[in-house]
Amino acid sequence: MVSESLKIAGTERSPEIEFDFERGFLRFRGESYPEDASAVFGPVFVALDRFLAEAGGREIQAEFDLAYFNSSSAKALMNIFLRLDSAAAAGTPVSVRWLHAPDDDTMREFGEDFGEDLDHVVFTLVAADPAG
Amino acid sequence: MSFDLFDTEKKVLEQSKILRERLNDAPEEVRQGIDVLIEAFGRSIREQSRLVKVSDRLQAQLSTLNHELTRRRAEAEQALSDLQTAQESLVQAEKLASLGALVGGVAHEINTPVGIALSCASHLADATAQMRHLYEADDIDADEFDRYMETATDSSGLILSNCRRAAALIGSFKQVAVDRTSAERRRFELGATLNETMASLGPNLRQAGHEVTIDCPPGLMMDSHPGALSQVLGNLVMNSLIHGFDPGQSGRISLTVDQPQPDQVRIVYADSGKGIPEQNRGRIFDPFFTTRRGSGGSGLGLHIVYNLVTGPLAGTIVLDSSLPGTAFVLSIPASVP
Repeated sequence: MVSESLKIAGTERSPEIEFDFERGFLRFRGESYPEDASAVFGPVFVALDRFLAEAGGREIQAEFDLAYFNSSSAKALMNIFLRLDSAAAAGTPVSVRWLHAPDDDTMREFGEDFGEDLDHVVFTLVAADPAG
Repeated sequence: MSFDLFDTEKKVLEQSKILRERLNDAPEEVRQGIDVLIEAFGRSIREQSRLVKVSDRLQAQLSTLNHELTRRRAEAEQALSDLQTAQESLVQAEKLASLGALVGGVAHEINTPVGIALSCASHLADATAQMRHLYEADDIDADEFDRYMETATDSSGLILSNCRRAAALIGSFKQVAVDRTSAERRRFELGATLNETMASLGPNLRQAGHEVTIDCPPGLMMDSHPGALSQVLGNLVMNSLIHGFDPGQSGRISLTVDQPQPDQVRIVYADSGKGIPEQNRGRIFDPFFTTRRGSGGSGLGLHIVYNLVTGPLAGTIVLDSSLPGTAFVLSIPASVP
C-alpha cells in the first residue's frame, strides 16, 4: 500500500507543503513566491501522480491556506486543480477547501476563480483567520 | 528536480501534432487549418510562459521593495524613539541641574543668618563664662552686671531674629523645592511664589549686582502648578544671567503681573540686557538650539520653559521684541483646566 508522505517545510518565500498519503490529505500553507516555482511544486506533482496511480480511487482532501502567491505559483496551483478535477471526473472523491483571511478579498476572489473550473471536485471557500 | 509548469499544455500540443500526422489524407484546407491551430496553440503556450516570467519578476521586485520599505520604516521608528529617549533624559538632567543650582543658592542664602546666630551665641557664651568666673569670685559690680545684661539681651535678640530668618528661608525654599520636584497642582498666592522663587535665585542675582523688581497685585490667587512656574522663572533668570548680561555688567530684571481678564494672568518677564539677535528669535524655543554649545549650554532651557508653559500651565509664551532687552510675555489661566 501507499505509505509515503511528503513534507516540505515552508520558507519566507515558499509554502509549507504536506501530503499525508495515509489519510489522502494534501495541504499548502503560507506564502508562495519562490525563485523557481517548478522546483517547489515539482515534488508535489510527482507525489500526486503516484498517489493517483497507486491509491486507486481513495478519497483525497486538499486544503489551500495561502496568504499570497505569484503568477507561476498560480499556474502550478491550476495544474494541481486540473489533476484533482480529472481524478474526480474518473470517480475519485475529491474535496478542496480554499481558506482565506476574512478581510482578504483578493484571496477570496482567486478561490472563486479557481473553483469555477472545478466541475467534479467538492469545492468550499472558507473565511478563517490565518493559522498561527 | 525541474518540472515544467506548462507540461500539460505541451503534452496536448504533442498529441495534436501526432493527430495532425494522421490527417494526411484530409483535404488540403483542413490540414492547413489544423496547422494554423497547432501553431497558434504553441505560440499561446510560449507567450503564457513568458508572461508568467515577467509577472513573477515584477512580483519579486515588489516584494523586495516592500521588505526594504518595512525595514527602513522600522529603522526610522527606532531612530525616532531613541531620539525621544535621549531628549527625555536630557530634559531630566536639566531639571536636576537646575535643582542642584537651587540647593547651592539655598546653602549660600542660609549661611548668613546661621553665621550671625553662631557668632552671637559664641559671644554670649564667652560673656557668660566671664560672668560665672566673677560670680564665683564674688566680684560682680553693678556696671559689669549691666553690661552683661545688655550683651545677653542683644545677643539673644540677634540669635532669635537670625534663627527666625533662617527658618523662614528654609520654609520658603522647602516649598520651592517640593514644587520643583513634584508636579503638584495647588492653590497659591502668585506674589508669594514669585518672591520665594526670586529669593531662591538671590545669590546668583545679587553676586552680579542686578536689581530685581516684582510688581504683582496682592492677594492674586492661582490654582495651578507652582513648581512649573517656579522652574520657568528660574530658567528665564539663568538665561538673562548667561546671555543677557556681560560679566561684570549689572542690570535690571522685572516681573510685572496683571490680569487682562479675571480668569487670565499675564506675567511679563523683562531684563535690561542686550536682547536676542533677530536671526535667533524664531528658534529660541527649539530643543537643542543654543549659542553656547561649546561652553556647556544644552539648548534645552527655553525649550523646557515652552513645554512647561504650554503643558502643565496651559498657557502661551511669546517673545516681546518691542521692548529693549529681552521680554517674555506669559499668558496663563488663573485656574488650569
